[in-house]
Amino acid sequence: MRSFHFEDGFEERLFQAIPPEFSRFGPVKAGDGVCRLQPVAHWAELNLEALPLIPLKKFLLPPRDELWRLEPSGYRPPAASAPLALAGIPPCDLYGLSYLDRVFVDDPDYRRRRQNLLVIGTACAPTESCFCPPREKAPPFDLFLASKRIWVGSPRGEALLGGLGSDLSDELEGWLPEEMFQGQRSLPPENLEELFLARAETSLWRQVGSRCVSCGACAAVCPTCYCYDVVDEALPGGPVTRHREWDNCFFRTHALVAGGHNFRPGREARLRFRFEHKLLGFGELRGTSSCVGCGRCGRACPVDIDIAEVLTALTEGGDR
Amino acid sequence: MTVDFLPIPALIERIDRRVHDHHVFSFRLSSPLTVAPGQFLELSLPGVGAFPVSSAAYPSGGTFEACIRRAGRVTAALYGLSEGATVGFRGPFGNGFPLSAFEGKDVLLVAGGLGMAPLRGLLQALLNQRKRLGRLILLYGSREPELLLFRPELEALADSGTLTARFSVDFTTELPWSAGRFFCKVGLVTELLEGLAFTPDRTVAAVCGPPALYTCVPEELASLGVDPAAIYLTLERRMKCGVGQCCHCVTGGVFVCRDGPVFTLERVRTIENAI
Repeated sequence: MRSFHFEDGFEERLFQAIPPEFSRFGPVKAGDGVCRLQPVAHWAELNLEALPLIPLKKFLLPPRDELWRLEPSGYRPPAASAPLALAGIPPCDLYGLSYLDRVFVDDPDYRRRRQNLLVIGTACAPTESCFCPPREKAPPFDLFLASKRIWVGSPRGEALLGGLGSDLSDELEGWLPEEMFQGQRSLPPENLEELFLARAETSLWRQVGSRCVSCGACAAVCPTCYCYDVVDEALPGGPVTRHREWDNCFFRTHALVAGGHNFRPGREARLRFRFEHKLLGFGELRGTSSCVGCGRCGRACPVDIDIAEVLTALTEGGDR
Repeated sequence: MTVDFLPIPALIERIDRRVHDHHVFSFRLSSPLTVAPGQFLELSLPGVGAFPVSSAAYPSGGTFEACIRRAGRVTAALYGLSEGATVGFRGPFGNGFPLSAFEGKDVLLVAGGLGMAPLRGLLQALLNQRKRLGRLILLYGSREPELLLFRPELEALADSGTLTARFSVDFTTELPWSAGRFFCKVGLVTELLEGLAFTPDRTVAAVCGPPALYTCVPEELASLGVDPAAIYLTLERRMKCGVGQCCHCVTGGVFVCRDGPVFTLERVRTIENAI
């Protein structure tokens, strides 16, 4: 992967070199203390220390996403999406993006937005409440900045750098920066699936499940929680539309079927279901952890359930 | 395969209203769909919602037939429609029953309640290749005699000797309950296995019914000597997307909508909380 050193002021010149058809968003901490991905005009507005509360999934899989509207001529799919540039995206969220790319590889709406997305990653400052993902391979990005150095991850990133060549050093050797992974706190063990299944009845789930209030905040802020409900709308005199809307596996209706049978009636079962998704994965992604270590779930949880602590307890014998 | 959320328009062609709240709907599709027994479609009522429904007839093509229970908001809206109304379909989804697995074997179908609907689709497919099968046995449990689905045609098949049929009901107002030449009793569907003459090691079974049925019937068949790899179950879940995205149907990490809904007992044993 090509990379270069750059001098002070380069970030702003890079930011302004983003083609004008792109809306530019990045993490900004507002007066209410909440960091959000919101419109930015200058690089200096980006807050590269705090993680945005809701990760970038909100752009690729909007909370309410129209699938079609019914017109006299038939069902009309959604219109094309506008180009979007996201700057200041931390490594964990880039790994989250990589996971979503795999899950939604066949989804035309996701792919259309993804193709219109320019991603500029930046190293972040890990905290006590997060742990970086294992460094198997580079996450997807167009450009990545850390320690006055820039990595090029795509032809689109290459093109953006094209006009700024005089600001850069000669090409450098070497892999991604250490800063990308410095928050490593705990790693799932090799035999996690075995442990997970063997300890299905362990008191760990009962104890943690009894604290859980099923609010679903953890799933809402998770970069790799993507489950959705399908909801129709017919406003009086208005169009008939179908949307997919963010759903949440902590909600009682998630595994409810016609006739009233619920496959995950209790909080304990629903909590374990989410951990199963985070740690083990579903379908063809079984064996790929979808937890990217951002720590949002633990910070959002009103009763302090922490995925790293649960993982440790699971590994150490199931009780805490 | 690219995911497509746009439904294919279809007309309600005929509604058989003989069984209360279990009407059989025939739809004419604006473009044909090949739906194998055990596969399902998502039926759309634009502006109301959609739900998964399996085929109750074989073969499909320009028409699609399904027995739909009035169970919730969207099905209630469907019951408010008449012949000629427009609905929509997406699919087909899922794997369906492997018809070749039944060839040269005795076939045992075990249905509970609305589980008769997908098995009726399978039964019609099997009747198409009747000569390549051994015995054909149906065990069918229902809440009450009035809720037995497809009763006249099952009766005719039993009368002609094509099919051995045994029925059970939970309740009946008439005792002893009698229904022509059927073997019927008041009790659970598992009780129909008692004294049933069949050859387990030559039998392929297909089971469909409510969760309570799955907790006993499949393992009971296995304990009688039917190969767990020859016992097929079709699992019910709340499938919203049909393509392994929305995660409602996941059990033990498996997308029931895409990898199933038909699984062998051998496989089901390895899937946590499948039944």
